[in-house]
Formats: sequence, C-alpha cells, structure tokens
Amino acid sequence: MVSPEDFVNDVENKWCPGCGNFPILDAMKEAFSELDLPPEKLFLVSGIGQAGKTPNFLNCNMYHTLHGRALCVATGAKIANRNLNIVVNSGDGDCYGEGGNHFMAAIRRNIDLTLLVHNNQVYGLTKGQASPTSALGMKTKMQRQGTFSVPFNPMAVAMVSGAGFVARGFAGDKEQLAGLISGAMQYRGFAMIDILQPCVSFNTVNTMKWYKERVAPVDETNHDDSDLAKALALVLQDPEETIPTGLLYRDRRSGMEDFHQRLDVLKKGSLLDQSIDMRTFGSLLP
Amino acid sequence: MANEVTVKIAGEAGQGIQTIGNLLANVCHKAGLFIFSVNDFESRIRGGHSFNILRISEDPLIAHSEKPGILVAIDEKSADLDKGGLAEGGIVLLNTTEQKDFPDHVHAVSFDELASSAGGRIASNTVAAGMLLSILGAGFDRLEKELSEQFSQKGEKVLELNKKAAFAGFEKGEAVTFPGKFKFESSGNGDGKVLMSGAYAAALGALASNCRVFSFYPMSPATGIMASAAEFTDRLPIVVEQAEDELAAVNMAVGASFAGVRSLAATSGGGFSLMTEGLGLAAMTETPLVIINGQRPGPATGLPTRTAQADLLFTINASQDEFPRFVLAPGTVLETFFAVKKAFHLSDKYQVPAIVLMDQFLCDSIMTEKGKLDVDGRASPKTMECRKPEPDSDTAEVTEESYLRYRFSENGISERRLPGTSKALVRSTANEHDQQGNITEDAEIRAKMVDKRHSKIEQMKEEMDPPSFFSKESAVLLAGWGSARGSIMESCLTLRSLGYDVGWLIFHDIWPLDWDEVSEIIADRKLIMVEQNRTCQLGQLIRQQTGIAFSNSVRKYDGRPLYPDFITENAKKIMEH
Repeated sequence: MVSPEDFVNDVENKWCPGCGNFPILDAMKEAFSELDLPPEKLFLVSGIGQAGKTPNFLNCNMYHTLHGRALCVATGAKIANRNLNIVVNSGDGDCYGEGGNHFMAAIRRNIDLTLLVHNNQVYGLTKGQASPTSALGMKTKMQRQGTFSVPFNPMAVAMVSGAGFVARGFAGDKEQLAGLISGAMQYRGFAMIDILQPCVSFNTVNTMKWYKERVAPVDETNHDDSDLAKALALVLQDPEETIPTGLLYRDRRSGMEDFHQRLDVLKKGSLLDQSIDMRTFGSLLP
Repeated sequence: MANEVTVKIAGEAGQGIQTIGNLLANVCHKAGLFIFSVNDFESRIRGGHSFNILRISEDPLIAHSEKPGILVAIDEKSADLDKGGLAEGGIVLLNTTEQKDFPDHVHAVSFDELASSAGGRIASNTVAAGMLLSILGAGFDRLEKELSEQFSQKGEKVLELNKKAAFAGFEKGEAVTFPGKFKFESSGNGDGKVLMSGAYAAALGALASNCRVFSFYPMSPATGIMASAAEFTDRLPIVVEQAEDELAAVNMAVGASFAGVRSLAATSGGGFSLMTEGLGLAAMTETPLVIINGQRPGPATGLPTRTAQADLLFTINASQDEFPRFVLAPGTVLETFFAVKKAFHLSDKYQVPAIVLMDQFLCDSIMTEKGKLDVDGRASPKTMECRKPEPDSDTAEVTEESYLRYRFSENGISERRLPGTSKALVRSTANEHDQQGNITEDAEIRAKMVDKRHSKIEQMKEEMDPPSFFSKESAVLLAGWGSARGSIMESCLTLRSLGYDVGWLIFHDIWPLDWDEVSEIIADRKLIMVEQNRTCQLGQLIRQQTGIAFSNSVRKYDGRPLYPDFITENAKKIMEH
C-alpha cells in the first residue's frame, strides 16, 4: 500500500511558514496514497511561481517547466505516453495570466490531466503584484491606485469552454481537497481544481479568515453537479459574498471523449510503444 | 551546349500555376530528366501575380534559372510583366480570347475555350500542360500516363475530360515551333533520383527518424513541412497537432520528447522567436528537441511568402544565457532529408537542441536529385530514444533507486530515462538543478552544471561536416551557406569557364564547427560572401571564429530567389576591380 510518507523527500522547502501551499501538498499526498499510486507512476508537471515549485517537494517523477507553459509540456507528455498519471501544479498568474491561451486550449482538447491551480489572488514569487484573479481595486506596491481590471473568473471560463470536471478547493479544507484531487485524477479528461489559497506574505485582504467566512461547500447542499446552468450560476455569484467549493460541474453525459479517444493512433495504445515501422514507411515513399 | 530549357508559368494566384508546373515536372521526371522548379508567389489566395519557373535538363541540375525559353501567361498582365525577361528566341503562350495582331513570338490561345470544348473549363490547366509538353517534344503517351495516375481515383469522367483537354492542348502545340535548342529525350524512368520539395524532404527525414509528434502553428513557409507529415497520419503512428500558438507547439514537443517520443516543431522566424523560450527549456533540462526554422524575410511579419537567409546569427544565439546546440543548414532536398535525420540523432545523443535552418526557397522549390532516401529499418526505436551515454571513467553501478538524471559524467552526458517506465524517478526543472534534478541555488553546483552542459561541445564538433570546398588552387572563394549552395556553385562554374580563378566554400553544418579547419582553408584566400541578408551573417561568424575577414560580398535581401546569373554579374564586377 502506498502511504503519504512515500512522497516525502529531503528537498528543502522554500515556501513561507504558514503558506497555503502546505495543506495543498498534504492533500496531494493523501490523494495519491488513496489512489494507491506509487511515486514512479506519478508525473508532476509545473510552471513557474510558488505553486510551480510544488513537485520539487514531492518524491515522484517531475518536470518543473516554464512560466505559463506547464499545460503544453504536460499535453506533449500525455500524447507521448498515455499511461502517465499527470498532475499539473500551476498558479493564478501562471495559468490564467502567462498561460491563459494554453488553459483554454487544454480545455478544448480535453486532454486527460489534472490541473491544480493554487489561486492566492496575488503574485507571491515576484513579491506581491496583482494577479489575474485579484479583485478590482486591490492595492499593492505596484498597483498603488488599485488594480484597473476586473478579476478573471476561471471557473466560469472553464465551464463555458466545455471543461468536464470543474471543482473549487480550499487550502483550509484539506479533506475536501484530497477528495477532489482523487476524483479529478480518476476523471477521464481534463479536470481542473481552482484552489483558494491564502498568501500569508502578500495578500492581506484574502486571508484564511476572509476565505473561511465565505466558502460554502456544495456537498453540504443538494447541488446537482451534472447541471451546467446551475453550476455556472454558482460561480457567477459575488465572491465578496459567498464562494461555493467542491465539485461544481462534472460532465456526466455518456460518450464524452477525451483527446486520446478522438485519435485513432492514441486509441490503439501509448505512442511510446508504437514505432514507425520503417518497412511500411519505405513502401509509402515516392 | 547543355540540353535544357526553362519554362515559366505565370498568372494570378488561384489560377492553377502549380498544377501545370507539377504535371510538367512529373512527366519530365519520369522520363529521366532533371527538374529545378521554383515557386514565386504573393501572400494572397487569389489574384496578384505569381509564377512557377521550371528548369528542365538532360543533365543533373544544381540550380534554377531565371530567363524562360517558354513563358506561359495565364493572364495578359503576366505576359506584359514577364516577357521582358525571355531568353533569346523565347516564346510566349498567351491565354487569351482576344483577336489581334500579336508579335511573332507570342502565340495566342485560349486554354479555357479549348477546355470547354473538351468538356469542362475546369481542365484548362491540363490544356496548358498538354500544349507545353507538345512544344517540348514529349510524346502524348507520357502525359496520358501521368494523368491516369493523378486522376484515376477521381473517376472515369474526370480522367476522360483531362485526357481530352490534354490532347486538345497537345494538338495546338504541334502548330507552334520552338526555336530553342531543347530536345526532349528520355533517359530512363526517374529511378535512382528523387523529385520533391524541401518541405516534403524535411517531413520524410523526421518520419525516417521515428518522429511521431509533430506540433506546429501554421506559418509560411514551414507549414508545408507539417502538411507533408500530415499526409501520413492514416498510415503511420503519428500525431500532428496544430497548437494554439508557437509557445505551445514547442513546449508540447519538449513534453513529448521528455516522455520519450521524438517530436518536431517547425516554424519560420517569427514563430521561432516565440519558440526561443522552449529552446532554452530543452537546453536547460537537456531534453532532445528538433526545430526547423524555415526562414523568410523579416523582421516581424516581413514578406510572408518570400525567401531570406537572415536568421543565422539569431539561431546560433537564440534564447537567453549560453548553451550548446546544433545548427544545420541543408542546401538541397536530399541534404534536407539527411540533415533532419542527423538533427534527431545528434539531439538525442547529446541531449541538446538541434535546429535545421531552411528557407522559403528550399521549402517550396521542387528539385530532382540523384540519390536515395535512406530509410533505416535497423535502428531500434528503444535504443534511439533512450540513449545511454558512451561509457565514461565513472563506472559506478547505477540502480533504479540511485538513478540521477543529471549525474556528472566525464563527457557531460547523463543517462536519460523516461518517466513512468521504471522505478527510477526522473526529475527535472527549468531552474538550475542538482544531479537529482531538484531546484538549487548552490553556487558550486551551478557552476558545475554549466560546465557539464558545455563539456559536450568538443565532441559535438566532431560530428559536424566541414564546409564543402572547391578548389585547392583558387585564390578567391565564393562563400555561402544553406540553400544558396546551388546558385553559388553554378555561378562559380560559369565564372571559371570565363577564366576567373574562383572556387567555392559552402557551409552545411554551421554550429558548432571546428573553426581551425575553416581557418586552414581560408587563410591566404579572398572570400566573397554570397548571402541573402544585409550584413553577411556567415561572414561575421567566420571573422568572429577565425579572425579572418571577408573581402567582398554579393548580397540579396529583396526576398526573391538568388539566381546564379545575379551572383555571376556581381562577382565579375568585384573581381575586375
């Protein structure tokens, strides 16, 4: 049996004490052990930012890539080897700012990966600038008069773009988060969890207390996660009032194909195990 | 006098210029003749002025030619624009319904009307091809056979229409006397030669390397490479994925390669600019990556459908900081096929990026070349893709548990394993990392890792072919690289026949090179750089690496192909001074 301890390594952690990333790290370990996935079967891909460092602090295969590009690298790897269990760690700046176009394209491709966005509504690694999810008017050292743009709504964008598994987690609720991660990894297709994560160093507005006052787990209500319109209504609520968490939308229609099921060659098996037969190729030459 | 002719087919975009050119090229190729066909077109789908210029010869060709013996003007505008450039004794076939007195060398004919009476205006290009081949002296049976091959799948009706149209054109051509010297003589059936475009050859080179992921964002002139690969999607285990942008394209290629499947990203300079970030990722994480940069004039959007050789220094230096890479610049279709194969092999062997520099001229030109596409069925993909480094002095037993992705080794190459295929954990980061692949800021490790990556360069140099050089006696060398090869060589031969003491120096593999070897060749000689850029980028590189300055240059940066005559005229002026 795989245990959370199996993912512990001796790499020095570089997050601030009390960082909202720690419970996310714990929830990941719990989910992996619950799924009985040993370190060698896991492949973590990440971008740049405090969230991007996550795989370094876990004992398993990892590729810590470029700012914004984790989904592209992960997509390539999954196309190459469909047997890889890929989890992407990204942040609000990495995924919705630098990698926004890739986020939308990954949803449309419906590539079978799990995306965890550590969303703290601020840039942590570069010391506290506004992020794409910062509230309008949020003041920072850089945005002295407050931000001039309305926040990006990743949940709504994911839903209207056709994502089949859209969940919101909260670093303050490890148990719910571990369950969501495990559910996302079992989902065949693109699964995203936007995780509310307090930044103890640079976000004095969206603190643990602030989130706790607003989060509303949908599992405690009779939310029908197969109802896209209702799910969308939930994420269009004013976050200043209430922020629903949990699995908000899951495509339960039959016949929803992921990227690999749409391509004959990938349906046959892993591309890694299929080589070009040079005799066949030779016979096709002019 | 060589038995050859040049045919130019000109008209608006969308009028089927290439259809006529390809029919002609295929018939000639299958009769054992040599073709060098250049496409010159605007960045538009309809209208404007485009042309295809085909040189046809009984003897092998190394370059294209500029002045046509026969101009096919599909619209009258083309006749006006192009007849000034006719070779001596050249004729014009003008597609027109107008009845007026044309000069003797202009033959008015309506391809459309002839096609209509044969059963459909749609076959007017076939009429033109029939007329051309008849004037050139090819037997009708050759064209008939080619039409059968091209149209049989489209049904009996389509085939019959095209045969009738071809015959109508052929008959019309019999009434035209071509004062040129060309005699259509079959010398075989095209065996032992290839006829294809550089773009197609590049795709075949990738497939022959067992490349199975092709990620791209459309950009002229590199789109043709991916389109060529896509032709094989139903028959070979490959994925051709049109990415959301070039950033995604290159990073998908890196991801697929990291997971163990060879992958290709092809683009042009603008897309390559975006890919430089991914290039750095591949370099930092020592992940094999092959990129083809099909150059076109820039900067920014530049001239989308035109040609240039102005990305050389950019390619050698692309991405921040410094790291080893391979840069190969093939000059012909077969060279392209082998350069792409070599790029895949070397990128895997040394775990460094390899870039193949092509350009619009090479991508889009179709040429006959003697030789064979070498498709090697022996190399097993497993050994190709997860190459263990050559044994070094460190013989410590590596177990799956003790596996280190970036283990320090004498030759700088660490064993590359694939994630998820064994108990060994494969860890890597774009940040500086330790031997295990974890993020580090340790000063000593950082410096050692930089050294590790750079220590590959000396061995890499040994893999490179020196520039081709002719001749030992020449005091003056025309020097160039990549697709300028043929024009330089032909111009050089012309100059020599005129009594000039001149040779050539042509670079195929450009980076990294053993520059001492280059120094030996060029010491005590005069270099005339022949390049399709403003600042003689190869000349600059030679000077940087050898300390030897070039003395003169023939440069062309108007986006149009480099014709041998242009070099000859300009080189003469230089040498007469």
